Amino acid sequence: MTEAAVIVDRLEKTLGKNKVLRGISFEARSGEIFGLLGPNGAGKTTTLRIVCTLLAPEAGAVEVLGFDTVREPQEVRRRVGVVTAEIGIYPRLSARENIAYFAELSGVLDGELDRRVNTVIERLDMDSFAGQRAESLSSGQKQKVAIARAIVHDPPVLMFDEPTSNLDVLASREIREFMVESKGRGKCVIFSTHVLHDAERLCDRVTIIHQGLVVAGGATAEVRGNHVDLEDSFLSLVGAGT
Amino acid sequence: MKDVLIVFRKELREILRDRRTLTAIALAALATPIVLFVISQVSARTATQVYTVGYKGEIPAGLDILFNATGLRLDLVDDPAAAAKRDVDLGLVFTSGGVEEYYDPTRQSAQIADIRLQTILGQYDAARIAASLQAKGVDPSILHPLPVTVHPLSSPSRAAGNGFLSFFLPYILITMSLTGGLSAALDTSAGERERKTLESLLLTPAPRSQLLVGKTLAVSVISLAAALAAIGSMLIALTQVQFGGSQEAFHVNLSPLAAGVMVWLAILLAGAFASLTIALGTLARNFRQGQAYATPLYFITIFPASIVLFIPDFNPNLTYYLIPILNAVLVLRDAIVHDTVAWGALAVTSLSLLVTGVLCFYAALRLFTREALLVRS
Repeated sequence: MTEAAVIVDRLEKTLGKNKVLRGISFEARSGEIFGLLGPNGAGKTTTLRIVCTLLAPEAGAVEVLGFDTVREPQEVRRRVGVVTAEIGIYPRLSARENIAYFAELSGVLDGELDRRVNTVIERLDMDSFAGQRAESLSSGQKQKVAIARAIVHDPPVLMFDEPTSNLDVLASREIREFMVESKGRGKCVIFSTHVLHDAERLCDRVTIIHQGLVVAGGATAEVRGNHVDLEDSFLSLVGAGT
Repeated sequence: MKDVLIVFRKELREILRDRRTLTAIALAALATPIVLFVISQVSARTATQVYTVGYKGEIPAGLDILFNATGLRLDLVDDPAAAAKRDVDLGLVFTSGGVEEYYDPTRQSAQIADIRLQTILGQYDAARIAASLQAKGVDPSILHPLPVTVHPLSSPSRAAGNGFLSFFLPYILITMSLTGGLSAALDTSAGERERKTLESLLLTPAPRSQLLVGKTLAVSVISLAAALAAIGSMLIALTQVQFGGSQEAFHVNLSPLAAGVMVWLAILLAGAFASLTIALGTLARNFRQGQAYATPLYFITIFPASIVLFIPDFNPNLTYYLIPILNAVLVLRDAIVHDTVAWGALAVTSLSLLVTGVLCFYAALRLFTREALLVRS
């Protein structure tokens, strides 16, 4: 079995007066697409934000490739790339300048910069609009810029937080294909979504969380069990099934 | 420090592509000469303006010549008191016993006409007395037992010019240091949150303190550029613009010492304002909210500059130089008016502005590193 790239251990977090996470644990491995599933408000985004060091855990611990997120946040950030639903890019910079900025801040060396930026532009088929200002790009093109900046430093762990929720069918398909491709390159891909249908098609293993608790986890087929699909399984697990 | 440079370069590039900031700087650079031109025109017009005096009775011989020479036109009217209310600037009734004067002090033109009248009446009285004494064989100099010879140590026109600069220049410096970089500061803080780029930025391994230093430096440079552009255009315009009437016309110049002090203060103010506005922007959820937070700053910063206008002879002790902005106004005023620098006051002022900038930066950093920054958005 492949060694775990991300280990989340009994994670707890309170935001405001809400106890958002109540002891979440899971492991995601290199070379797999790991699904972090659950309805809106289940705690998926908070979990990912703790994994990528944006938030500090209240209790529990997270390790990314052996680095603790609290003690060694910068080492963790060097090894993580995050794509979210909210495609925030700098409108007055070109697509290429957006990518280069994040590459530089992620520690890509000057001599490597152009090669790395060109590689991701080519890989994501962005040549036609790489020189355009971001403000003039379509949503799909912006999402590609967001992906490019997340992977330009070639991180071994990629996290996608509801990446397709604002995209059309074609752009969504490209994202899914990219996740599969990244898995093929040996990356640990964590896919957070409330669209269980998508997860069922893509994920090797999943963890379903509900109200801050893990309600199921394991290989996708195991979690689905005898149910028609993951959605049916989830509804059954949270007691809302027929 | 490499991350500071990366952020600085990127922020500067974005700012220079932002029409809002560039338009604000360009407008400031253009508006200042236009305002100066208008002021010079108004001041020249006031100096050469002819005011109307409605009179009744016999004008004493020779007095009408003085009236004409001083820009007071004499019009014969039936009722000088009634005319002085609206039709003319002054009403005079010449009688055998003297002159009755009617004027409305609430009208500025009447005030100026009154001053001119008092001046020529004084001259007329003195001339008449001297003539009478001379006719009786008495030397008129008896009227001046202690003659005074005045030796001004600087030219009165230069003093007038310095007085003008001592108000106008600190005002421009402070307002432009604040407003020149305001849009950029809010864009790089509140705008980052509004555009949803903040999370990605904080995900990079770059330390947050270095990200913030890069942003603050970029905004400081723009604030400084805006202030210097406005002041530079003002100084260029001053070499072309003439104040006062044709007889007492003067140009306004800034001495090299005052220019040096001004640039140093501009640097300190730009840094302090950049930190302060970025802190306010970091507190805000979006650009518009940031603008709302920053609006009171306009009033707070303009108030100290106004002190010089309302209390020209305000000479406080060194403690007052601890008050940010006011201290910059006072140091700059002294450098312009007296062409000298009180080094103690400048040191206290520099320290005060540096500490203000550092405290504001610390506040911005605290806001920039808190979890609520992401959770609230």
